Amino acid sequence: MQQVFELFQGRWQLTLDGEDYGTSRQLAAKCGGFIADDEDEQVDDIERSCVNCARRRWLIDAIECTFL
Amino acid sequence: MVRASGLRSWLVCIDDTDDIGTKGTGEIAEEIARLLSDNHLSRCAFVTRHQLYVHPDIPYTSHNSAMCFQVRTTKSQEEILQIAVAHLRSQSAAAADPGIALLDLHHPCDREALIAFGEQAKVEVKTKAQAYALAELLGIHLSEHGGTGQGVIGALAGLGLRLQGNDGRIKGQFKLPGLEAGEVQFSVGEAIELTGVDRVLSDSGEQLCFKTPLYLSGKVKAVYRDHQVSLLVYDDQGRWRNALKQQLKHY
Repeated sequence: MQQVFELFQGRWQLTLDGEDYGTSRQLAAKCGGFIADDEDEQVDDIERSCVNCARRRWLIDAIECTFL
Repeated sequence: MVRASGLRSWLVCIDDTDDIGTKGTGEIAEEIARLLSDNHLSRCAFVTRHQLYVHPDIPYTSHNSAMCFQVRTTKSQEEILQIAVAHLRSQSAAAADPGIALLDLHHPCDREALIAFGEQAKVEVKTKAQAYALAELLGIHLSEHGGTGQGVIGALAGLGLRLQGNDGRIKGQFKLPGLEAGEVQFSVGEAIELTGVDRVLSDSGEQLCFKTPLYLSGKVKAVYRDHQVSLLVYDDQGRWRNALKQQLKHY
């Protein structure tokens, strides 16, 4: 996970490439900390995806993982 | 608006009520709406979700969105606040910073200033002081109920964005016959009848006519555009399908 998320100013961040959530899905599939956020806060149709996780924090064009 | 029945219309907006794994702000908003509408569902139709600015300096939990609804009631402002605040306090997460804003739609105020605040809160960091100052200037109720009370910013911004009428997604999804089994086909007219939306809108802004066939599957959701609840669809090789979450994200 840390190999894909980058540590920036103390925050583990995953830069997103538009609406291509392939990496986000792959990472969430292997993550033991995934918690699905409210359906209304999800942005990927595949539920198990980092961008749908309650432990992610949205940034502009990126998410921060608060679980790592 | 005041009617002979004594019903009056209000906008209620709440923000920053949740934490990881707790009940969402949208669900709490729906519950407050039900409590205020005395089980007359027609008095409160839907909750809108408004996305605000995401920035490291803003202490939101994960997404920074506010939830707003309109309700028609005979209750006074004091009665509305008593019910809404009690529920907000009891249902908000311990670590949350909840705020609530309440606007009497009959009350004349500088709506443009309120809308401008909402639009600014989507692109820049706003402060509690700015929110309170504007609420006082406009005569709008704004209050905080725990933690840092940071939620007052989003609560006021959400009011402005709902008033603006071109922002946000409708909370929840529509249930349609046959949808659980897979794809269903309805005309636009049938979909409007079954869901109660105002219209069917393409992702390029085109309003579809009643006879146009739709192919619906998965989660069928609506957005708020032109003050109308709009079922969002996109053209998939000549077939109109309900928007994917990736498309809804932009609303």
